[in-house]
Amino acid sequence: MLIAALRRRPRDVAWLAFWSLVQTLPAMASGWVLAEAMTKFATGQTLGGLSWLGLQGVAALAGAFGTRQSYPRLGAVVEPLRDELAELIVAGALNRSMARATAPDTDAVARLTHQSEIVRDAFAGLLTVACTFMFTAGSTLAGLATLAPATLPYAAPPLLASVLILRLLLRPFERRQRVSVIGEETVAREAAAAVNGLRDITACGAEVPVLATLDERVRRQAAATRSVTRIAALRLLFLAAGGWLPLLLVLLAAPALLRRGVSPAHLVGAIAYIGGSLRSTLSTLTQGLGAGLVRLTVTLDRIVEASPVNDEIEQTYAQEAPRSVMIDIEGLRFGYTPDTEPVIDDLSLSIAPGEHLAIVGPSGVGKSSLAGLLAGLLTPTAGRVLLGGVPARQCPPGARVLIPQEAYVFAGTLAENLAYLGEATASEMRAAAEAVGLTALVEQLGGYQAEIDPARLSAGERQLIALTRAYLSSAPIAILDEATCYLDPVAEARAEEAFAGKPGTLIVIAHRISSALRARRVLVLDGSLAQEGEHFALLASSPMYRDLVGYWTAGPRHAGHVARPPGR
Amino acid sequence: MTPAGGDRLLLRIARHGGWWLALVGTASVAGAIAQVLLPAALGRALDSALLADETTHGTHGGTSQWLAYCCLLVAVIVVSAAAATLATGMASTTATAWLRRLLAGHVLGCGAGLLDGSGAAFSAGDVVSRFVGGTVDAASAPGSAVLALTAVISPAGSVVALGLIDPWLAVAFAAGFPALAMVVRRLVRDSASVNVSYQAALGAIAGRLLDALGGARTIAAAGTAPAERRRILASLPALNAAGTTSWQVLGRAAAQGAIIVPALQVIVLAVAGVELARHRITPGELLAASQYVVIAVGVGASIGQLTRLGRARAGASRVADLFAWPRRRYGDSQLATGATGELRFSNVTVRRGDRVVLDDLTMTVPGGAAVAVVGASGSGKSTLAALAGRMLDPDEGAVELDDCALPWLTRRALRTAVVYAFERPALFGDTVADAIRFGVVSPASEAIAAALHSSQAAGFVTRLPDGADTPLRHAPMSGGEMQRLGLARAFAHARDARLLILDDATSSLDTATEMLVGRMLTEQFDDRTRLIVAHRASTAARADLVAWLDEGTLIALAPHSELWDDQDYRALFMEAC
Repeated sequence: MLIAALRRRPRDVAWLAFWSLVQTLPAMASGWVLAEAMTKFATGQTLGGLSWLGLQGVAALAGAFGTRQSYPRLGAVVEPLRDELAELIVAGALNRSMARATAPDTDAVARLTHQSEIVRDAFAGLLTVACTFMFTAGSTLAGLATLAPATLPYAAPPLLASVLILRLLLRPFERRQRVSVIGEETVAREAAAAVNGLRDITACGAEVPVLATLDERVRRQAAATRSVTRIAALRLLFLAAGGWLPLLLVLLAAPALLRRGVSPAHLVGAIAYIGGSLRSTLSTLTQGLGAGLVRLTVTLDRIVEASPVNDEIEQTYAQEAPRSVMIDIEGLRFGYTPDTEPVIDDLSLSIAPGEHLAIVGPSGVGKSSLAGLLAGLLTPTAGRVLLGGVPARQCPPGARVLIPQEAYVFAGTLAENLAYLGEATASEMRAAAEAVGLTALVEQLGGYQAEIDPARLSAGERQLIALTRAYLSSAPIAILDEATCYLDPVAEARAEEAFAGKPGTLIVIAHRISSALRARRVLVLDGSLAQEGEHFALLASSPMYRDLVGYWTAGPRHAGHVARPPGR
Repeated sequence: MTPAGGDRLLLRIARHGGWWLALVGTASVAGAIAQVLLPAALGRALDSALLADETTHGTHGGTSQWLAYCCLLVAVIVVSAAAATLATGMASTTATAWLRRLLAGHVLGCGAGLLDGSGAAFSAGDVVSRFVGGTVDAASAPGSAVLALTAVISPAGSVVALGLIDPWLAVAFAAGFPALAMVVRRLVRDSASVNVSYQAALGAIAGRLLDALGGARTIAAAGTAPAERRRILASLPALNAAGTTSWQVLGRAAAQGAIIVPALQVIVLAVAGVELARHRITPGELLAASQYVVIAVGVGASIGQLTRLGRARAGASRVADLFAWPRRRYGDSQLATGATGELRFSNVTVRRGDRVVLDDLTMTVPGGAAVAVVGASGSGKSTLAALAGRMLDPDEGAVELDDCALPWLTRRALRTAVVYAFERPALFGDTVADAIRFGVVSPASEAIAAALHSSQAAGFVTRLPDGADTPLRHAPMSGGEMQRLGLARAFAHARDARLLILDDATSSLDTATEMLVGRMLTEQFDDRTRLIVAHRASTAARADLVAWLDEGTLIALAPHSELWDDQDYRALFMEAC
């Protein structure tokens, strides 16, 4: 992925390389300038010496210009990678949250704001170090080769050996770093779990086992960090030795070199190259290939792992639209994994166009799964769900509208939110708001063009907006999956009656018994059993339904008292 | 907490670092001194070699001597750098682990009062960040302090050395240096303002993503995922633009930094060159001067160490804040055997800031009774539940279980006698069974199975791939399922308990399941005292007594049927969603 990022911007990479080269001009000049200036100064040509130093000043200016030019090029390589990561994270998180019935993948926000930034910084750092090292080492050696070629055999081999050692130690170092980084994450995760569960730990009196677990994590993490420290110290020992060795070798050889005709001034210049830029660039490399590299790869792995690239949910819709609005459920079975006991088992049911059906049952019995199957979000394990003869999963989204319990309202204008499922005119919006009961909120928010902040709306207000949006859609089937649970009973009745009064089929996953009373037919889900019928018939035939009804109407003396559907 | 608390903690950490810290000090001082001596030795070696070259065309005795010094100094520099790295790492790792263990014990000992207690309480995220980050910062403090002190040695020594070679060299350096400091300051300021717009764009994307994740089901059903992706990423070009600007700013700042060191070097070398021409210094001294400039500029590194030390002190003070919070203390009494679990509140008052949460509450719950605690939200129901099992100590008054004041009990006696189930339980352990077993004692497998059954969790647990042995992280659960596991945990431990407290522990269950749980509660734990915080009339109806709270005051402790005629009482149950 990192290499792909480089390949994608060959021009910027080339310019980055060029400006990095310019950046090393002062290093390249340093030895020559020192040698020549010293010669001039030593022979009393002060002005000549100063002009050589002036040359070094010019080189420094050029180098600074190179530095300045290289950064935007670095950005041009790194920023697209960050963009790509952001796209990957967003797509992955959305896909995951859509595919799962469970809690949304909110860790993705941390991946976006935190981890992708780590990658951005670390990648930029790595590129900088790589360029700096390559060009500084190259230009220093070039300077050395032209100034005093006789010193080259003393400088190049130790440098090469250092790079080789660094390369050899990189793998073990990276491995240990990785263990340590992951260990630190584990410590943080366990600590967060313990702190968030403090109340439960105290209440259960389980301080000791929790402390023991945490202690074990901390101990393991300390061991991992110690092992990183040891290898880091070893690395440093080798590299510092490798960095200083050329200098010592040249010094030891100095008398011999002088005898072989290397001028004293050139020897000083060579020492400046070797002891200055060459050594410092090696230490830059040591630091640059340290923790940053591991952090980069670990974090990038984490992002890619969490955001499956090829797991795009590509919906393939049937060629022909559903011929009618008839819903046929045949021998339907559904479980979250093939091995586990299904939540829905052998359900068969037909829902005629224009019908109003309520689905009731205890929690976890598969009501929301059934809604998801009807909406084409889930695939049956066995059996079929057909809308007008077409399997629900292959029907285009416009065939029905699902309003889940967690209403989706996004930052934007109210009109944008309402027109989410399709275009709507102002008068249509007004009519829908009036029917569902949103008008008061519209006024309170300041009209349809007002920007809304979802976080400042109550759960009930968000549900009203989602309901109005669904009411505006032209889908012939509406599925309300506890879509009114945060509304008060009066508001709930108004919204449900609005949908009932609209042409088309209405399926309500009931939250209160009053919802069931408003429907013409009721489906009772009770574990593997399912029964459907009209309210009074079910009261007679389904103990579960009796339980639910008797229960919902509450009150010791009033149990079972309310059993008459209002106004039907 | 005063910074002094943090500094006291730092002293303890330093004592804990022991030999490793001593090694940090020795190695870095030795390294710094060697660094200052090396250019001088190099210069001498060179001069002596040049002299030998000019005079005798043979090896001068002094040359090899200076070369030996150079080798020795390099060896000291290399070894001390590695030793300092090792010792700093070891000292801070050891101290981090020690501090974390100590802090974990302390936080667990404080309990949830640390998070929601009155006074200066902490947020959970804050405690975690102090535990994870604060300890590392604090533990690195002694090492950072030593390094900050010793980091001054070589730059300062280099300036002195410049002066010793030739006073004018030191003057030239001192004249050029302030420019360096100014550039560094500006770099920090410039990058700060660019960061603001960058973070704003990133925040906009994150906010929209979070909204969309909450509405994932709507998006999936509407087939609008591609449009959503575009909408969420609408600020990406702005982010890219802000990012690009930030690189330009960085480039400008870095260019200024890149010019300052060579410029200083040129200035000093020019002065040195003039002095060389006047034969006031030797070529070797000029070489040494050129290297001293580089080292002296490194004073920036010691500034870096100082900021690190500042961060470490801040970390220590953040950790010390947590240590300043009092741990909860337990007594050494046991409960009398054979008693029935009578719960007595005597003149109990709880305040939170200026607000009175419970006001002079006195009531006695007979042993073995089921009491529903009802009241509007904010009336003090959960506070009452917290008091009953000493999750919280009252500001005034006393809570007694079977005539024993709760603070007198040992931790084990208290937690065995009182069992809690919560609205949002936090589950611990590797597997589902571990999560149920979690507590002061570990119930047998049969008890766990029975508890899963009683809490109506058996159904969904058997549907998990490995049943109760399924790892918790492979068992994504709804709020209702979590609640049922929390209930199972309480039920599994309720055999030895005499008081069972359900704090809104069935709120996410559908009414039918709640009824089944309620029935189990009546059938299986009839002889235990039960305190049930409830919102539903049916729960109140099933209880022996109802404790009706209103704004921290007990209105009545009476059976549901007696209260039902009261209009205000009935109104409590109308809004149940």
